[in-house]
Amino acid sequence: MFELLASGIANIVQFKYLIPLAIGSLIGVVGGALPGITITMTVIVVLPFTFGLEPLQGLAAMIGVYVGGETGGLITSCLLGIPGKPSAVATTFDGFPMAKKGEPGRALWLGIWASIFGGLLGAVVLVGATGPLAKMALEFGPWEYFSLFVLALSMVAGLVEASLVKGLVAGAIGLVITVLGNDPVMGKPRLTFGIEFLEGGVPFLPVLIGVFAFAQLMSEVERMGGGRDAFAAVDRAVNLAVSHFKVIGEILARPILLLWSSFIGLVIGVLPAIGGSAANMLAYDQAKKFSKHPEKFGTGIPEGIIASESSNNANVAGSLVTIMAFGIPGDAVTAVMLGALTIHGIQSGPLFILQNPVLAYGMFAAYIVAHALVLIILWIGVRWMLRIVTVPKAALFPVVLVLCVIGAYALNNTMDNIYVLLISGLFGYGMVKFGFPLAPFILGVILGDQIEINLVRAIMTDDNPWLFLTRPISGGLLIASVLSVALAVWQHRRQQRKGVAPAQDDVDF
Amino acid sequence: MTLKRMIAAFGCALFAVPAFAAYPDRPIKMVVPWAAGGDTDNIFRPFAPMLQKHVGQTVVIANVGGASGTKGAKESKDSPPDGYTLLAVHDYIHSTYYTGVAEVNYHDFEPICLIASTPSVLTASPKTAWGDWKGLLADAKARPGMITVGATLGSTSHFFPALIEKAAGIKFKYVSYEGLAPRMNAILGGHIDLTDSNLTQKGKVDAGQLKFIAIATEKRSSEMPNVPTLKELGVNVVYDVNRGVLAPKGTPADVLGKLESSCAAAAREPSFVDSMKKQATDVRYMGRKQYADWLKGNDDLNKALAKDLGLLKR
Repeated sequence: MFELLASGIANIVQFKYLIPLAIGSLIGVVGGALPGITITMTVIVVLPFTFGLEPLQGLAAMIGVYVGGETGGLITSCLLGIPGKPSAVATTFDGFPMAKKGEPGRALWLGIWASIFGGLLGAVVLVGATGPLAKMALEFGPWEYFSLFVLALSMVAGLVEASLVKGLVAGAIGLVITVLGNDPVMGKPRLTFGIEFLEGGVPFLPVLIGVFAFAQLMSEVERMGGGRDAFAAVDRAVNLAVSHFKVIGEILARPILLLWSSFIGLVIGVLPAIGGSAANMLAYDQAKKFSKHPEKFGTGIPEGIIASESSNNANVAGSLVTIMAFGIPGDAVTAVMLGALTIHGIQSGPLFILQNPVLAYGMFAAYIVAHALVLIILWIGVRWMLRIVTVPKAALFPVVLVLCVIGAYALNNTMDNIYVLLISGLFGYGMVKFGFPLAPFILGVILGDQIEINLVRAIMTDDNPWLFLTRPISGGLLIASVLSVALAVWQHRRQQRKGVAPAQDDVDF
Repeated sequence: MTLKRMIAAFGCALFAVPAFAAYPDRPIKMVVPWAAGGDTDNIFRPFAPMLQKHVGQTVVIANVGGASGTKGAKESKDSPPDGYTLLAVHDYIHSTYYTGVAEVNYHDFEPICLIASTPSVLTASPKTAWGDWKGLLADAKARPGMITVGATLGSTSHFFPALIEKAAGIKFKYVSYEGLAPRMNAILGGHIDLTDSNLTQKGKVDAGQLKFIAIATEKRSSEMPNVPTLKELGVNVVYDVNRGVLAPKGTPADVLGKLESSCAAAAREPSFVDSMKKQATDVRYMGRKQYADWLKGNDDLNKALAKDLGLLKR
């Protein structure tokens, strides 16, 4: 395994892979740092540029974006108190107070180093556990996959969002959309209303782009407010000098915190559907619970920054484990990556590592090397980052939107994708307006076909429906999904009793 | 040069350009109607760069799986007949039509060329109790309709086991798994007992992950001489899957001609021949005319098969 990893790293540091990886990391850092631009959007923007590349070059670029994005998000979180992306929300809690107290460099570099350490801890699991998990994934029959997807849907509907009912409804709408078109087993048309275009079903990537780029950007545009630049008053020449030894020392002096937060990030990454935005909040919450001085959280203490940032980078490793071992997306970013794999003719899944060892270990290596590159990029470039991220949104958003539309078109060079994007964008915007969360919706669209196919396969293999419960893994997953909904109901009740309205945030699940 | 001549020359140039130099002036999409990493994909992946070399334009493979390969077929059929969308096809185009899975048939397309032929191999999961035909037959007789077969319904991977059922007088249970790649995951995990595969999966058999029961050829293959033929086991089934390239109906003849000659040259490329040999597939080239006749014969054969097997819906 280590020989394979070593040759993977030797492979990836060749210029032809290192260049796309470095460019991806840079774009990721900037995209992650720009408030209002999520990592999902950044990956969508990069995707069409990878079509002409070799598979590993393209994947390296996207892994670079992913790692760079998770790290870059902390810049504005710490310095401006505005999260660069949803998975850096918890970083603002202590990062910004610390910066306000006159230690912006310390806040920033605590976050960066915690990201690097968390990410590399994730790498250990990514390299070590993907193979064994892939073996386990082979044991997953249709019953287990079905139950796993049900668990994913119920978790994303229940855990992340404010209203459980709206979350479940959003997921259900997503599922209904996958019913449109010919059925995946016998090709019988359903709900096509005689419209020929609908017979092929609704392609999920344009829907994802529409919802995550168009609908989210539109909500951002509304928030911008009457043309005045929110960043006008920002001091762009802030002094970020800091002793790196001291900062690294501060992180390593809290090994349990680092390990536990990274572990949380990983587990949340491995679970399909819930990603960084849940990971950083949960890790922060846990750090606070286990702390000897929970009252100091929120005042600018290092623990808060370390917990949030190590968890969201470890989360990337977890998501990569899921696409590589199970062939199912851990979040929206990996859903785009999975699409890219297919475009390059690679079937991800339990046999992926066995059949494509060079590519698989190349991806591991890209993930590890990306952390080094991100560190270099930030070391050199962090002083200019504030200038970049305060670029007027009026200039930025249209560019991103156009690039997203091009990306949707380039998926298979058809205008149909653009129409799907437009409709789903408007639909998603409507959902946001009425307070429906987008994450369960898009997850329903991504998993719908798979849920249906696996249900049909299970029943075709054995007509005994109790197998869903009596097969141990499948039964366990279904019980877990019931528990997750019950837990969500209980939490919402508790919050209502306290009279606290749960926060409604953006989710880059 | 007189003015008249100049005008004539200019006119010629104007009209000649679209007629001769135009095709292909942008990338060509080749639709593989199955998941990436399956056997059809594995055959067309090495073919596409060779076709690209001779046709002089980028050839991009698009995997459009779903509904027993008919989703991709439908998409190609509905594409403009300009030679920029091609369909990578095999015998399923006949079988899915007659079994009622699809409305699309081969006569919705213009044949370009046949390139390869792969013999089918009856393959078993490592988790089955038996390792040879005798054991399988005894088990199938003891538990009729209980041995599960992963198949793309209505397609070749459904026909091949169905022919065995009929010849041996046994009954299987079919489970829908589209394409060889997902079937491999399922059979390695023991979620299905049997499937139609081919010698491309030899590596997994050598590694003890799969069991080849029998091959559907006249004579044993030199690649795997220890795998018996169905015929020598007393099951009179010979079956192979033939793959070729089609274009939507109405594609202009000159475009078809250009594609045919590029296809012929590509099929002779040593690198393509090599990769087919590695996949235990015979390169079997036929040009437009011959392929058209062959398709017609194959269509009749599939209709007869579907009828024989009780799967005929038209």
